[in-house]
Amino acid sequence: MLSKSQARAFFLGGTFLFSAAFLILTVDTLRQNPTRTKEQNMSAAARAGKLIWEKNNCMGCHTLLGEGAYYAPDLTKIVQQKGAEYLKVFLTDPQAMYPGQRRMVKYNFTDQEKEQVIAFLEWVGNIDTNNWPPKPNIEPPATGNTVALALPAEKPEKYTQLCMACHKLGGTGGVVGPALDGVGKKYDAEYLDRWLKDPPSVKAGTTMPKLPLTDNERQELVRFLASLK
Amino acid sequence: MRFKSQKIAFWFFAVCMLLLILQVTYGFIMGFARIGMDGLHDFIPFNAARATHTNLLVVWLLTGFMGAAYYIIPEEADRELHMPQLAWVQLISWVVVGVIAIVGFHFNWWEGRKFLEIPRPLDYLVVVNVLLFLYLIGMTIWNAKKHSTTQLVLFFGLFCAALLYLPGMIYFDNQTLDSYFRWWVVHLWVEGVWELIMGAILAFLLIKLTGVDREVVEKWLYVIVGLTFLSGILGTGHHYYWIGTPKYWLMVGGIFSALEPLAFLGMALWAINMYRKKGKDHPNKLALYWTLGCAIMSFVGAGFLGFAHTWPQVNKWTHGTLITAMHGHMAFWGAYGMLVFAVIAYALPQLTGRKLFNNLSGYLAFWSANIGMVGMTGALAVAGITQVYLERKLGLDFLAAQKETEVHFIGMMLAALLFTFGVILFIYDFIRHGKPNDEAIVAATSAE
Repeated sequence: MLSKSQARAFFLGGTFLFSAAFLILTVDTLRQNPTRTKEQNMSAAARAGKLIWEKNNCMGCHTLLGEGAYYAPDLTKIVQQKGAEYLKVFLTDPQAMYPGQRRMVKYNFTDQEKEQVIAFLEWVGNIDTNNWPPKPNIEPPATGNTVALALPAEKPEKYTQLCMACHKLGGTGGVVGPALDGVGKKYDAEYLDRWLKDPPSVKAGTTMPKLPLTDNERQELVRFLASLK
Repeated sequence: MRFKSQKIAFWFFAVCMLLLILQVTYGFIMGFARIGMDGLHDFIPFNAARATHTNLLVVWLLTGFMGAAYYIIPEEADRELHMPQLAWVQLISWVVVGVIAIVGFHFNWWEGRKFLEIPRPLDYLVVVNVLLFLYLIGMTIWNAKKHSTTQLVLFFGLFCAALLYLPGMIYFDNQTLDSYFRWWVVHLWVEGVWELIMGAILAFLLIKLTGVDREVVEKWLYVIVGLTFLSGILGTGHHYYWIGTPKYWLMVGGIFSALEPLAFLGMALWAINMYRKKGKDHPNKLALYWTLGCAIMSFVGAGFLGFAHTWPQVNKWTHGTLITAMHGHMAFWGAYGMLVFAVIAYALPQLTGRKLFNNLSGYLAFWSANIGMVGMTGALAVAGITQVYLERKLGLDFLAAQKETEVHFIGMMLAALLFTFGVILFIYDFIRHGKPNDEAIVAATSAE
């Protein structure tokens, strides 16, 4: 039967052995870290962005590399998914971009601070995370709207910067709003123009935000959307 | 109670109860926010509520551990506490630092790193405070007539906990390294050295409550803390799957963290077996309920539910979702919340001389708090699985998936009401005990 001194030896020996193994693995992790995290790409802006990230406890709602509070989306690949331009608009007034939804504090960042936060998130997005987050692997049920439509070659710049963050077209884009395939068949240019100008006035309670667009940019988008037939 | 200086433990426990009530309040604020009732958003945004909720948890548990140490160490060392006046200084400064930190969170003053939100300048004060605590406990042991295994393991656990706070204070501009060393604090605390504290406190309670020979209890204590470190140290690897650390962590973390439930299983079997071998019937049945309950619930919450999503193939999908919150709630409650409750249930009658155990409110507190916590965990589990399927597997937008979890948070808050009812009953009993007094001091022979 096990004696007390044997039990003590088991505890002390095990502790020593596994602590040593842990330290060795730590040394190797530190050695591999610059390559795996692509540290050479970490700009001064990204470093400053991390401080802004921490100063405002962004992790208190969001997750980054899956670590945080599960109240707001994971931001590991956010720059790669939504693009810097969209994020700049979003950060200017988060609630305006998701009207009537879960709220985010409006932080009144300067343009430089926005760029720094985005630079930080962009750097994080390029860390080798062993392929996390995984791609969704269950196909949603078919919606019946899967007829391949001819896509116009030229997408306006604002379309790729803003619209795509939430809408799909030809299978690529976000999943917040409805897909835009064939939107020109459903709505004419006049309606689309009114819609983009001020969505809530056309449809009260919509989650579509009023985007900061100049008249030219809006007209360009309307022409593009109306052509999606 | 055998020594005057043990009375300080009472005040640590009282602070504990106060902080717990505050923690629960902030939990409700978050629960309401999750079902769309975020009226407090402009004053207490979610990140402030969340930081307050988790930091209060850590602080009330640590306050409980400190109270337990101030109660247990003099008794085990068979002497008065070293410089008991300084223990008051330690308690008051501890509370002051805690209050400043919590208030600071509401004014956007924090470090913004999960669980380690306390701002850096306050970190230094925490270090000074804990050094004072360790000095008082350490000197008491140093001058002791006997050195029991229980007190040495308790001191070693507390000492390592203090030491492991330091890696969390190093600044890294590389997010991966920041996270890597943040887990040295968080993981090596709760799945490492805190289990030593837990084992030592359980050993003390089992010796007192079951009358089983100290040598037997303490022998198995070594085995259990041995199992803890065997699995828990390399088990840190389950936090290193997806944060940019090398691929071998998938295997190392997977294997060793899968072994972590063994330590908790050992803890549960140990407590139950010591109870079955009991040499006497201690009149304080409630303390026994909390002690055995802690050993069992920690296995379910920390061991089993942790195991459920620790394997990389599962964790790939559940990492960063409400599944973690599900595991977290029952793990902290079962392993550490109930442990502090067990110490309090045992120590209060001893400190105050009022034997209020075995009354209805005490049992009602035990069952409603535990059933409430099981309900909360269940609701979070369903919410978590919903989130994993909709957001991760089907690729639904984050907010759209969250909308589908709202109903489960209504369920969670109903269960939380039951939990809170139990906690309030426990505090009601706490208050009924009155203050500690010297008349409660008894000679060594009849103290147990």
